[in-house]
Amino acid sequence: MLSNLGIISSSISLLASLLLIYLSFVELKVSGDKIQKKIYKFSSVQLIFSLLSFLVLLIGYIFSDFSMINVYENSHTEKPLLYKISGTWGNHEGSLLLWINILVLFSFLFLFLNKNKNKNFKIFTLIFQNLLISIFFIFLLTNSNPFSPVFPIPGEGLGLNPILQDPALAIHPPLLYVGFVGSSIYFSAALAALISKVEAKSLATTLKPWISISWFFQTTGILVGSIWAYYELGWGGYWFWDPVENSSLMPWFLMTALLHSVLVLERRIGLYSWVIILSILTFTMSVVGTFLVRSGILNSVHTFANDPSRGLFILTFLILMVFSSIFIFFKYTPSEKKNYKIFSKEFFILINNWFMVFFLAVVLIGTLYPVFLDTLIGEKISVGPPYYNFVLAPFLIPLLFLMTSGPKHKWISSETKIFFDIILFLSVFLFLIIFFIIKENNLLINLILLFSIYLIIQNIFDFYENLKNRNINLSRIISHFGFGLLIFFISVNHIFSVESNFNVRVGEKKDIKNYIIKFENLETSSGNNYKSVVGYFEIFNKKKLIKENLEPEIRVYNQPKTITYEASINSNLFSDTYLTMSNISDSDIFNIKFQKKPFMNFIWLSVLLISLGGILNFFKRKKEI
Amino acid sequence: MKKIFIVLILIFISTKLVAAANTKDEILKNLRCLVCQGQTISDSNSDFANIIRSVVDDKIQEGLTEKEIYKFLSEKYGDWILFNPPLKNYSYILWFLPYVLFVLGGAILYLMIKKTLIEKK
Repeated sequence: MLSNLGIISSSISLLASLLLIYLSFVELKVSGDKIQKKIYKFSSVQLIFSLLSFLVLLIGYIFSDFSMINVYENSHTEKPLLYKISGTWGNHEGSLLLWINILVLFSFLFLFLNKNKNKNFKIFTLIFQNLLISIFFIFLLTNSNPFSPVFPIPGEGLGLNPILQDPALAIHPPLLYVGFVGSSIYFSAALAALISKVEAKSLATTLKPWISISWFFQTTGILVGSIWAYYELGWGGYWFWDPVENSSLMPWFLMTALLHSVLVLERRIGLYSWVIILSILTFTMSVVGTFLVRSGILNSVHTFANDPSRGLFILTFLILMVFSSIFIFFKYTPSEKKNYKIFSKEFFILINNWFMVFFLAVVLIGTLYPVFLDTLIGEKISVGPPYYNFVLAPFLIPLLFLMTSGPKHKWISSETKIFFDIILFLSVFLFLIIFFIIKENNLLINLILLFSIYLIIQNIFDFYENLKNRNINLSRIISHFGFGLLIFFISVNHIFSVESNFNVRVGEKKDIKNYIIKFENLETSSGNNYKSVVGYFEIFNKKKLIKENLEPEIRVYNQPKTITYEASINSNLFSDTYLTMSNISDSDIFNIKFQKKPFMNFIWLSVLLISLGGILNFFKRKKEI
Repeated sequence: MKKIFIVLILIFISTKLVAAANTKDEILKNLRCLVCQGQTISDSNSDFANIIRSVVDDKIQEGLTEKEIYKFLSEKYGDWILFNPPLKNYSYILWFLPYVLFVLGGAILYLMIKKTLIEKK
């Protein structure tokens, strides 16, 4: 029943998309500057049925309707309700449906909310967006149908991978998808702008809110994914430069570049073609990311569902998309004003773009190089954190410096405001205090610390200025401030992290630096859908004379049968104590990983501040309109 | 501009000074658990990881340096086990392309602002 309803409603939505494309082409020939009501109606129909099909799948999951293969394969009656719901997008088919829903939602919102007067621009955007929607709907219905029925109807489902049964992971994919897929709308709008010859300022004001909002969701999505990896994957790291993590970061770099360069387009009517290229590239990178994750060509901790035929589809789609974009770009791109001059602020924004594209290139090379090497000459290599840290970390210093000094420059004029020497002085002073406390002798880390402090203090001063006169860009201050804090706390975290791997029996003690770790007891316990072995540990801090009790677990889930290692984390304001344990086969010895991770909460908070800037930017625009 | 160049030079000197990892845990972090999905030996709970951990322990006891341990393991399991790909003929592109691209990007940027700079003079 549900299966049919799902197929019917998604088919109706597909039909509406195809009709919208047809009607839009007809509409182009009609004169007048108002879009016919028909188009609005079909767009609403498309949205309603698309949402309905998602609702059908959701209901299927909530009530465990195993007549649909997808529900049978990924759910189980004993699973808690929250994870029944999040199971909807915890698999390829369901997440594709979510992906399409966001495409449709953005298409609808763009049509209804956009105040841009240029009719052809809106119509062309609608055409491109609905081409995307149609292609993904066809993919959904032919290759990855979440509504496929199964007969005879199984009595029980296979269950969801237990490490996906987590509150952070329940909201992480939707957030990231709004970011990823949100970039589709400026992809479509950029192509439409070329064809309908929209003027620079009007394009900039149209794109800006969409860029801010998708950037906000992308940033938050990455944050939540990172938090999830931190406590669920049990390695104590928050960023691993894993190919799947990289796929979420690659579009983020481009969105960040776009967020800055669209300002130049708005104020100075420059960089028209560049903004278009960035818009096209951002969505392309989102699809590349999806391809990498879904095709299974990457070896990643985050890959849970893959199938080569899906990869092939996405790859074909990607190639078509890239080539048609290039074609449209070269056919329609306007010749930029030749005597366009670049002054101070534009110069710094271009430098931002230079760095962002460079970061993107490094991550892209690191992610794809092993794949190419393996296919071309059969040599298998791994590119991991040491590579990225080595290549990228040095570039943080000029980036931090430019983030500090760039915003001080004014538009057009090349004169700068009086240089706040006091800020630099204060930063160096603070840095020296910190230096004598931590006594870190790595020059690179010291420089990064110094320049992040400089950025932080500069932004505190800017914030103070902002309180006096309201003309300063608050969203910029908060995001840059957050970034400075992020780099600062990551560095400090790196310096002070204590980590140790050791083997121990029940009752034994181990001395690690200032800590004594005592394995007190081992008990078995059971939860809703798992059985577990719980280790009781006491950690004694010799310096501060504080005791902490931690209880890491080894869980054996029954549906599907999976072993997970649950980290036990004692999270304090300034420092996290992190413990995981695993048993060594055929023995009573346990392998323990003990970690002391300072300032974890500050790292999360910094990223939250960065994304807060994005949402402020979004609302600021609204007010101006 | 001068300031930027000084900073850039400082950076490239500092890159070389990135402290070499010498503790056991640092080594484990740079090794891939071959039976897992993209985890390091340090993070993995698999039997394979436990074995490699004790191998690394033994090799440290034998007095091997970090580099020698990497060499030993890569001869046995291939470069796939190393998260820090060694500089070899097939990894030159991997290691140098980013810098080439950075310089290229800078050159493009310079060409864009050249006109403005000349007019200023």
